[in-house]
Amino acid sequence: MSHNVKILPGATVCEDCTLEGDITIGSGTVIHPRVTIIAEGGPIVIAEYCIIEEYSTIIHKKSDNQENPPKPLFIGAHNVFEVGCKVESIFGHIGEYNVFECRCFVGPDVKISSGCVVGASCKLSAPQTLVDNTVIWGSDHNIREALEKQPSQLLQLDFLSKVMPNYHRLRKPNGHKRQPSRQSTEAGK
Amino acid sequence: MAYLIQPDYVQYFCTCGQIKPITNLYFCRHCLKVRCGFCICHEVDSHYCANCLENMPSSEARLKKNRCSSCFDCPSCFHTLSTRATYAPARQDPAAGDAKVENKQPKKMYYLSCFNCRWTSRDVGIPDQPVASGGWPERTNPFANRFGQLLEYFKAIAQQEKQDKLDKERKKYAIRGKYITLTDKTGLTGAMARTTAGLPSSESSSSAIANFVPSQAKEEVEELPEDYHTKEVNLKLITTMPQRLASPEWQAQLVSRLQPIARPLSVKRSQRCRRCDHNLTKPEYNPGSIKFKIELLAYYHVPEVKIISFETIKPGCTTELLLKLTNPTAHEMQISIIQPDEVPEVEEKEEPKSIEKSLEKSLNLEKDTSWRQVIERKPLLPTTIKLHKPELSFTLAQRDDAAEYDDDSHHETNDIILWRKSNKLALRLKVTTDEEAKVGSPAVAILALQYSYRNTVPPTANSPQTRDHVLYTTVAIHLGTVTQ
Repeated sequence: MSHNVKILPGATVCEDCTLEGDITIGSGTVIHPRVTIIAEGGPIVIAEYCIIEEYSTIIHKKSDNQENPPKPLFIGAHNVFEVGCKVESIFGHIGEYNVFECRCFVGPDVKISSGCVVGASCKLSAPQTLVDNTVIWGSDHNIREALEKQPSQLLQLDFLSKVMPNYHRLRKPNGHKRQPSRQSTEAGK
Repeated sequence: MAYLIQPDYVQYFCTCGQIKPITNLYFCRHCLKVRCGFCICHEVDSHYCANCLENMPSSEARLKKNRCSSCFDCPSCFHTLSTRATYAPARQDPAAGDAKVENKQPKKMYYLSCFNCRWTSRDVGIPDQPVASGGWPERTNPFANRFGQLLEYFKAIAQQEKQDKLDKERKKYAIRGKYITLTDKTGLTGAMARTTAGLPSSESSSSAIANFVPSQAKEEVEELPEDYHTKEVNLKLITTMPQRLASPEWQAQLVSRLQPIARPLSVKRSQRCRRCDHNLTKPEYNPGSIKFKIELLAYYHVPEVKIISFETIKPGCTTELLLKLTNPTAHEMQISIIQPDEVPEVEEKEEPKSIEKSLEKSLNLEKDTSWRQVIERKPLLPTTIKLHKPELSFTLAQRDDAAEYDDDSHHETNDIILWRKSNKLALRLKVTTDEEAKVGSPAVAILALQYSYRNTVPPTANSPQTRDHVLYTTVAIHLGTVTQ
C-alpha cells in the first residue's frame, strides 16, 4: 500500500493523527489530533474548509468488487466531522456542508449528498441515500428536511487555524511533493 | 438507600401504605409521621420559566396562558430554541435619502434555531428579527373568537348558577312579611346595589347566555380528495402526532406550518401535611435557587438503612444479611429491630371538638375539605422471608460532622454489631426463607425499626409536647431473587 499524504498549503494537520494510504487534504481544512483517516480501498480526497475533530475516523473501505484503478473517495468542502464520529464509505462522493455530529456512525452503504446532518450518536448502517439537507437526530433517528444548507464554519476554522499551531505540532504542507512514508515522518519527531 | 439510576433496594413504608425510597419521603415534625408525595397537599408557590429563570406572579401567568413570553421550544423536537445572530446583507433602501450612511454597518438580525434537530425559524419562513428577544410574530388562532364566546358563555352560566344558589339559600331563611325590607323602603333594587358594589350585573350575564349561538352540526362536509388513499405520503413533509399535539391550537399538518412553541412555565411547589397543615417543604422564592426554607425530609429524621451485603436467598435456608444503620439526627437514638407485625396500630385520635373549630367550619361551608382527609393504611406485607429478631437494642450516636476527624475510640462489638463509627453501625442479621418460596420470585425481607426521636419543635403554650417519642418505621429490603 502506498503512503502518500498530500497536504496542500493552508491546511492545518496535526502530527498526532493516523493518516494511511493515498490522502489529499485541501487548503483551509483543519484536522485535529487523534484523527484516523485510512484509505485502503482507494485514495481519499478532502476538499477545502473541512473540520475533522478529535477521535473521528474516516475509512475508505475495500469493497468486494474493487475497481481498478481504485475509485477515489471525494469529501466535499465545508464538512464538519465532530468528535468521535466514524464514517465508512465505499461510494465515491460525500457532498458539501454536511455535519457528522459526535459519535455518529455512517456505514459503508450510506450515500450522503449535501447539507446533511447526522445527529449525535445516530447509527446509519442500512443501505440508504440521504438527499440534500436531510437532518437525522435523536435516539429514534427522526428525520426531517431542512430548508437550507447548514451554515459554514468559517469563523471557527479561522480560529482553529490560528490557535492550533500554538498547542500542537503540525504536519508541514507538502503541496506537490510526495511524502515517502508515514513511518519516516514519525521517526523524524 | 436510593440510587440515581439503580433500582431502590431499600424502601420505606409511608403512613399511607405506599412503598418508597427514603429520599422520596417527608417527615412531619408535628404529627411525627412519615408522609409521601401521595398523601400530602401540594401547593403552587410561584411560576417561573425554567429557561430564562424569570419569575411571574400567578395572575400574570394565567393571563399569558402559563407560558413564557420570551422563550420558545422547538416545534420539531421540543428542545429549547436559541437565538442566533447573523449579519444581514445591507439592504438598499430607495426610500432613504442618504444610502451611504445607512449601509455603513451591516445590520444584526436574529433568528431562532434548535441545537438538537437544527430546525430554524427560517425553515418555516418566519422573518428574522432586528431585536434579540421578543417581537416574534404571534399567530392568532383562527377560532380565537369562538373560544372567547364559549369562555364568556360558561363564565356567565357559572355566575348564574352561583347566584341562583345564593338566592335559594337566602329565600330559605328569609322571614317574609314581618319587616319592611331595605329595598322596599328606599327603592334600591338589587341590580343597583350590585352596580354600586362593582359586581357584574345579572343583566350582562343573562345577555351573554341569550346571545350565545351553539355550534351546528353540518350534514354536508367537504369530500376527501380522490387520491386520498392512493397518494404516496412523504413523511418528511407531514408532522408527527407529538408535534401536532404540542400545539393544540394549530395542529399543523405540514412541517412548513410549524411554529415556535412558547415555553410552558414551571412551578415551585410547597408541600403541606394534610393532617396538621404545617409546611413540609417550602422552596426559596428565587427561581435560580434550589434551596429550601423548610425542608422536613425523612432523610433527616428517620434512621437510614443500607445493605452492605447479603447471601443468596434459597428456599428453606437461613442466610445472613449485613446492614448499615445511620442516625441522621442531632440526638442520640435508641434503636431496636422488631418484627413488622409488632409495630403498634396507629390509633385514630378523634380531634377534640371545640366551639372555635365548629364556628370555623360553619364559616366555610362551601369549601371542599375532602383534601384534608388523611389516608392511613396498613400495607400487605410479603411473609416468605422471616427475620430472626436479635435480642438487642442499641444506641446510635448523633450525627457529628467533625467526628470523622477524631481518632475512633474502640467500641464494643459483638456477633450482631460488627462495627461502629460515629453515627453509623453495621449489623449482622439472619433471615429464614420459607420452604414454599417460589424460585425466581423477588426476595423481599421486611423489618421494622423502633427508634427514639427527640422532637425539636418548640412547645407552645396551648399544646404542651413531650420531647421524646418512640417511633416506628417499616422497611422493605430487596435481596435479589429467590434462587435454587
